[in-house]
Amino acid sequence: MEKTKIESKKISVFYGDKKALSGISLDIPEKRVTSLIGPSGCGKSTFLRCLNRMNDTIDICRIEGKILVDGEDIYDRKLDPVLLRARIGMVFQKPNPFPKSIFDNVAYGPKIHGLTNSKDELSELVESSLKKAGLFNEVKDRLNEPGTSLSGGQQQRLCIARAIAVSPEVILMDEPCSALDPIATAVIEELIDEISKNFTIVIVTHSMQQAARVSNQTAFFHMGNLIEVGKTDEVFSMPKEKKTQDYITGKIG
Amino acid sequence: MNNTEIIKKSLMKRHLAESRFKTYGILGIISATVFLIVILSTIFIEGKSAFKSTYIKLDVFFDPSIIDPDGTRNIDEIRFANYRKVIKNSLKNYFPEVTGKEEMKSLTELISSSEEENLMQAVLKNNDLIGANKKVWLKASSKIDIIHKNPEMKDLSESNRLISDKELEWFDKLTRNGDVKFSLNKIFFLKADSTEPEQAGILGSILGSFFTLVITLILSFPIAVAAGVFLEELAPKNRLTDIIEININNLAAVPSIIFGLLGLAIFLNVMHLPRSAPIVGGMVLALMTLPTIIIATRVSLKAVPPSIREAAVGLGATKFQSVIHHVLPLAIPGIATGTIIGMSRALGESAPLLLIGMVAFIVDIPGSFTDSATVLPVQIYLWKSTAARGFVELTAAGVIVLLTFLILMNALAIFVRNKFEKKW
Repeated sequence: MEKTKIESKKISVFYGDKKALSGISLDIPEKRVTSLIGPSGCGKSTFLRCLNRMNDTIDICRIEGKILVDGEDIYDRKLDPVLLRARIGMVFQKPNPFPKSIFDNVAYGPKIHGLTNSKDELSELVESSLKKAGLFNEVKDRLNEPGTSLSGGQQQRLCIARAIAVSPEVILMDEPCSALDPIATAVIEELIDEISKNFTIVIVTHSMQQAARVSNQTAFFHMGNLIEVGKTDEVFSMPKEKKTQDYITGKIG
Repeated sequence: MNNTEIIKKSLMKRHLAESRFKTYGILGIISATVFLIVILSTIFIEGKSAFKSTYIKLDVFFDPSIIDPDGTRNIDEIRFANYRKVIKNSLKNYFPEVTGKEEMKSLTELISSSEEENLMQAVLKNNDLIGANKKVWLKASSKIDIIHKNPEMKDLSESNRLISDKELEWFDKLTRNGDVKFSLNKIFFLKADSTEPEQAGILGSILGSFFTLVITLILSFPIAVAAGVFLEELAPKNRLTDIIEININNLAAVPSIIFGLLGLAIFLNVMHLPRSAPIVGGMVLALMTLPTIIIATRVSLKAVPPSIREAAVGLGATKFQSVIHHVLPLAIPGIATGTIIGMSRALGESAPLLLIGMVAFIVDIPGSFTDSATVLPVQIYLWKSTAARGFVELTAAGVIVLLTFLILMNALAIFVRNKFEKKW
């Protein structure tokens, strides 16, 4: 039996008067890959950003409902969103390394949280994070070069290494491959498969093939509603809902 | 008519409109350049002569009976000796034909009275000069300098000329003997204002400007950057911050003399800070520069891509950390550029400083923030409003110095922007 890591209960999101998500209830299993698919503007990214409270930074955004991580309500007043974001890392659509060295990019998270006690410990952590992100061999001789000098795919893996360095429990990925070419995409997908042994992963993707390749569970969003959720192969081979059927066969979207 | 023909017909007109607009643009640039060249060249032509001045070579006898009658080498005695007489005697030797008291007086006036002090300093430095004969280049007075620089004035009638026929005769004799030369006008770079044009210098107002700008920078930069960061990154967006923002933008457009009035009313009349002092001038200019830097800070912060903020916040950085560690460093080139531009505006500002008394006639070179001082643009104004002919070239030279500093500061702004701008 899979353990549920994140439980969302009737989450609704409003941007001003506009309702972006209505009553989403979705369970995300631990150490599995859950993909969120759906046409543009369906609310999948909005939902993802609710999971680590990134929507807090948007002034007009209002959220109703509950999200439980390990049974704890993350929208509880007592919970500090800064702590939450250390536990739930995020990788963004466009690779966004800091304009600093590769080393400093990965070291930044551990540094601000004070996770290491010495320089050696920090370098070890940076090295192991880069290794986990499959980037270490490519950059080991140029850790002091700016992270922005890497190729797009390498930059995205650097961002994953940066997220891993804080040892989060969950990694959220918002269309991590949409700015990458197919080869770099394949590398990232392999990496997702690899790291899902240790991390719970939620990935938003535009590519149904990608969802089919990398995820264990797939949720289909449409117009702010969660239409269908289930095991990936089941959703793709025999969708229960007509809308899902239409989307994966290309009739809508 | 089909579509192609319709488009063809209008095409001619559309291209014409474009080339017409281009022509206007080129005309605009040409006229702007011409104006600029005219202004700069007139200033340069008028001002360049102020950087050199006329010197006259005289055989000076350091007469012991004048300088040190007791022979005790007493410093006070040497200091207060009558060096005017020393100069007078050497002139007398040069022009033995001059006898009358009035004539003798105007003869002595060939030499700038600043040379009395120079001779005294020379004797103080080297006591062996006393009793010695030495050829010395002495600075000519302003009117001789003007005649030397504008030889065409010699042809004017005596009443229209600055100097009398007699004086012209003496000057011509000196010229014939090769005892007149141009040399670098050191006084201009080493002294402060004076009533005598040949003794007036720009250093006092350069230092006044420097002290003033230091205060301006120290006050306005940290306050403005902190305010800009707070308003742009940390403050909630509500009616209060909206009002603050509108008012800051309005402040940037307030005429500078209003800030001068404010400085007069508060810094001088309420806080009783010293009048004419760079510290007050700097405070007034800081008020004026604050909105400029705040706006530059906010614009530069806005230009930092939100992805950088998201990356930091997504890692668990607090908002403040994401700003301090990532956003602000990326905004620094823009902030620095805005600051330097604001500073160069402050350097060229005169109106608010007039109101707090930095328009006074100040002969001493300011040594601190509380000394009385004037600033470059005010010094230019002061010289321009002085009647004596010798100040005309000083005014233009002052403008050249001011423009040089402004160009340097703007070049620094461009350099900073190009050097520290990071690409991402």
